Amino acid sequence: MTISRSVSLGQRRRYRWINIGLVMGSALLCTLLLPMRLPGMVLFGVAPSWLLMWLVAWSVQRSGVEGAIVGFILGLVHDGLTGYFPTHTLGLTLVGFLTARIQKQRFIQEDFVSVAIIVFGMTVIAQTIMALQITAYHLVSSTSPYPGVPAIWLQHQRIALSSAILSSLWAPAIYYPLSRWWAHYEQIMAPPSN
Amino acid sequence: MFALRRWWNQYALKAGLVVLVMIAALSMRDSGGAVIYEMYRWVTRPFHPGPSREAMLQSSYAQELQQRLVELESQNRSLRQIVEGDSSPADEGTPAAVIGRSAGDWWQQIIISRGAQDGITPDDVVTGPGGLVGRVIAVSPNSSRVLLVSDPTSRVGARISRSRATGYIQGSMGQQVVMEFFDKIPDVKVGDVVTTSAYSKLFPQDIPIGRVVALDLAKSPAPEVTVELTAPLGIVEWVEVIPFEPRDITMPETRDTLQEVIPNREGTDAVEGDRTP
Repeated sequence: MTISRSVSLGQRRRYRWINIGLVMGSALLCTLLLPMRLPGMVLFGVAPSWLLMWLVAWSVQRSGVEGAIVGFILGLVHDGLTGYFPTHTLGLTLVGFLTARIQKQRFIQEDFVSVAIIVFGMTVIAQTIMALQITAYHLVSSTSPYPGVPAIWLQHQRIALSSAILSSLWAPAIYYPLSRWWAHYEQIMAPPSN
Repeated sequence: MFALRRWWNQYALKAGLVVLVMIAALSMRDSGGAVIYEMYRWVTRPFHPGPSREAMLQSSYAQELQQRLVELESQNRSLRQIVEGDSSPADEGTPAAVIGRSAGDWWQQIIISRGAQDGITPDDVVTGPGGLVGRVIAVSPNSSRVLLVSDPTSRVGARISRSRATGYIQGSMGQQVVMEFFDKIPDVKVGDVVTTSAYSKLFPQDIPIGRVVALDLAKSPAPEVTVELTAPLGIVEWVEVIPFEPRDITMPETRDTLQEVIPNREGTDAVEGDRTP
């Protein structure tokens, strides 16, 4: 590639800052989408998990530790928007880690369909962890303000399924621009081959 | 040591960024997402329901009804004053537009367009067309977050307005909520109107909540009925925020009351109901 050879140090630095800006900006955009309910974004009163989609797009190409750290940070942000219990940090940390650990070359190819499938599975996992937390609270404390365990798992079915379907449908919208940018960025930042 | 230095040289920028972002995320979490909600309000500003809509909602007929209601309320107040000898002046509410829904699927919340700068404080009571909507749980300068009555952690002391049977309602993530009674055999039937009770700590009394749609009086340990909320929480666009301070209730007859112990959590309403022998 001729581009990777011709970039100067200053240009690389600029690209690095653009990358940081784009990463933060896209994550912020996903956060701002959370309280929104636009047409096509609701199924049985449930909205897509925008932060989870962003996290999957981030983790697919990165190591498990990076995925987990970013998952934890996004979980903190999400907790700030809703409430501290049940916390999102556990689910998103696990999702970040697992997504990065999936051996994509071996099991599934990396394209829209497989990303949609990953998002589907990860949404179910994240929502299950939320339901598990509420169930555990029930078992530990007798004064839980939540309804009974059967009711929780009934809610879990509804939430996990609709959220997973919606999120996997919207996932390419988040994944495609980000993966294109990161591929371009890698190309620019790659050390000269000769 | 050398390995550490090499690691530092390689990852200093990344580590610094991670620490910075984590601190930012933590402080954001502690502030209840105030920064995000301020930004959200600013971004969605062009899409807020405008005053034309508000004017449409408050059509002349509704205004006429309101005027009559005000008249009746003032009559009621003066009669009450004669009977009970105390006066509780009604506070003026602040109208606010609903600009967002709950950011998580396990919560039932709405985001409204008024905040601390408009004099809104946590624990204020939110009503809408149809009755009780919820209460304010977090405030940022220009927006606030409201915990809806339909949230599973929300408990509201309630009573049947016809028979004065008391209990509390608990949300179940939908338009229908569950009401549990303190009495073993409450006087209740389908179609009864449910309002907030006088023994509610978190809500003023006599705000309409909903209507009884189904009975399950055999339920143990306490009889239970299903209540359909009259305020359409899913599509409500304008609400009114009424300033309210949680109060301590002095029970009229402490000996004969059943003390319902409810955990003191965000959104729960500790209710003490009177028991008819």
